[in-house]
Amino acid sequence: MPSTSGRSRFIFFCLAPAVVLFVVFLFIPSIDVFRMSLYKWGGYTDTKTFVGLNNFSKLFQSEKFYQVFQNSILLIVVVTIITFALALLFAALLSRGKLKGTNGYRVVFYIPNILSVVVISAIFSAIYDPSNGLLNSILQLFRVIDEPVLWLGDQKIVIYSLAGAMIWQAVGYYMVMYMASMANIPESLYESANLEGASPAHQFFTITIPLIWTNIRTTLTFFIISTINMSFLFVTAMTSGGPDGATEVFLSYMYKEAYTNSSYGYGMAIGVVVFLFSFALAGILNAVTKRDHLEY
Amino acid sequence: MKKMVCLALAVMMAFTLAACGSSNESNKQNNAAGTGASSGETRTLKFAALETAYGKAIWEEVAAAFEKQVPNVKVDMTIEKNIEDVIGPSMKSGEFPDVIHLAVGQPKGLTETFVKDNNMTELTDVLSMTIPGEEGKVGEKIIPGFVDTTITNPYNDGKTYLMPMFYSPTGLFYNAGLFEQKGWDVPATWDEMWTLGDQAKAEGIALFAYPTTGYFDSFFYALLNEVGGPEFFTKAMNYTEGIWQSGEAGQAFDIISKLAAYTEKTVPANGNKDNFTKNQQLILDNKALFMPNGTWVVNEMGNAPRAEGFQWGFTALPAVTDGGDRYSYTFFEQIWVPAKAENADLAKQFIAYLYSDEAAQIFAKSGAVQPISGMSDKLDGDNKLFYSIYDQGAKAAMGAFVSTAPVEGVNISDTVFGSIDSLVTGAKTRQDWVEAITKASDALRSAQ
Repeated sequence: MPSTSGRSRFIFFCLAPAVVLFVVFLFIPSIDVFRMSLYKWGGYTDTKTFVGLNNFSKLFQSEKFYQVFQNSILLIVVVTIITFALALLFAALLSRGKLKGTNGYRVVFYIPNILSVVVISAIFSAIYDPSNGLLNSILQLFRVIDEPVLWLGDQKIVIYSLAGAMIWQAVGYYMVMYMASMANIPESLYESANLEGASPAHQFFTITIPLIWTNIRTTLTFFIISTINMSFLFVTAMTSGGPDGATEVFLSYMYKEAYTNSSYGYGMAIGVVVFLFSFALAGILNAVTKRDHLEY
Repeated sequence: MKKMVCLALAVMMAFTLAACGSSNESNKQNNAAGTGASSGETRTLKFAALETAYGKAIWEEVAAAFEKQVPNVKVDMTIEKNIEDVIGPSMKSGEFPDVIHLAVGQPKGLTETFVKDNNMTELTDVLSMTIPGEEGKVGEKIIPGFVDTTITNPYNDGKTYLMPMFYSPTGLFYNAGLFEQKGWDVPATWDEMWTLGDQAKAEGIALFAYPTTGYFDSFFYALLNEVGGPEFFTKAMNYTEGIWQSGEAGQAFDIISKLAAYTEKTVPANGNKDNFTKNQQLILDNKALFMPNGTWVVNEMGNAPRAEGFQWGFTALPAVTDGGDRYSYTFFEQIWVPAKAENADLAKQFIAYLYSDEAAQIFAKSGAVQPISGMSDKLDGDNKLFYSIYDQGAKAAMGAFVSTAPVEGVNISDTVFGSIDSLVTGAKTRQDWVEAITKASDALRSAQ
């Protein structure tokens, strides 16, 4: 008996520092966001008024917020699906296809991930430039378009232009992750599939995808969280939310309200909604993608 | 034995944490002791400012001169490009700088937050203070009009809370060389402007460009003064009911809508923080004729390539009618004292000193011009041209939308100016725009 209590005490002391750090630096600040969303507060001084759920009721009546919500969901869906598809495709090609210079490609694809968002936005500003940008020049060269397209100026296109930059930035990272797990799949499975006459595409869908499914599930959660965060950086660096709010996303709108509009409490209310939304979305995706674990 | 070692290690870890905590504590105590001691003989004035293009050095020089002028005072300076982030945390815990030099209109809206929260010390009495080291009073030295604006007197009660600092006229910038080459006259009325617009269009030059929609603030304020005079402007800035449906406002909306049609088409694509210089470049490349801007643009585009024979030209807004008033909006920075500043009296003395000849001289060296009578005569170069705009018959417009208690989700600048991008791209009509402005204005009026 005494040994059990000693053991418990030992575990307690070992865990205590981590738990304390977790509570102080993660748990309390998160709770604080919820608390602050109930106040009308400018954010800089200590003058605040408790307003209950007022911020939330205003938020759900705001047209602007729905526009922001739409933009964010559009980005999450478009960026996730395309990045996901491209990353899987490239990973499969590089690890299964007999290509020369696989490592070189891996490095090239991974480079965008090392670049800072500011650099990427500068690169894409040059690509998207209406009068002498790369994209318009190429399209005009092949006479696909007559008039220059305003990639960052046309409200109907600009959000997809942003998505393009975000996909370019993310593909390499996920590709490397998928390649790592694809490398673990035993070669014998593919050999026997070959003997049975399965095509590479068939092998991809019946062997590769099911065997890296756990990894795909994990990365889906990453996708959602990173798209929400990265979209803020891209918007801030590339469009400042413009033209006329057409690329405003969750966090950029939250920032504008919390600081520029002196409504910190309202900003925190947006934060709470984003928190709950991403939590729920990750939960739903996790439940939907649940499969029996395959052993090999 | 092994367990004991582990336990000991765990305990040590816990202690390290505790030690971290206590060292912070002792730091705080040291700090507290420091200020306590210093308040005895030498008083410390805590000064915070945004580091702008004028640089840090001018403030250091002025502070040193102030310390010499007023004995037993030490100016403790925090001058940073991200000043909001630097002073923000300590303000949340109740520790405020004594003086803050930070203008309204910054993305983080710190100054507006203080105005909206009623968290500023009244500075009306500074106007009647004698400038340290001089005979005259502050109020006598400041150019008339600068302390009667909706920015300096945000609560519309005749009391001044923010003091005007460096000012700069704004208006339309153009390539004077191009006008000379083509034999065009700079338009004096909007009708002439449209005629010129058609002429330029025939030569493949757009009439108008803007860096970002944010630059429309000075343009719009000057235009409101032109269409309805200062009284109308003040009413509009106070969100008076029905003001946006008035004939005068309609005229202003018409002009901007028409101007949107004359705007270079690529402008909205580059109208953001990252690419706005590309829009300014349109003027240097003779691709557009006019842009609204401030005098800082000359330095900002100093190294940019330019068309042959390029020469900066600067004019007030064209008049609405022949012989009507022409306005140039005056942009100025502000200095103010938080309500909870510990040394408000000293802060006021410091502000008064900033209007002394000695201080003004130091500021002027870096091109920072204060609204002090006679100051513009001492300028040279491009600055002389810019600051002489008011001597050439243009009237000065000052002020901005009045700050109200914050209304969540309503931002008047975004509504009025931000939407101009949509007017240019055609995503919004003039009617949508006016309706949105009216709605925002109504919401802010009830929060006043």
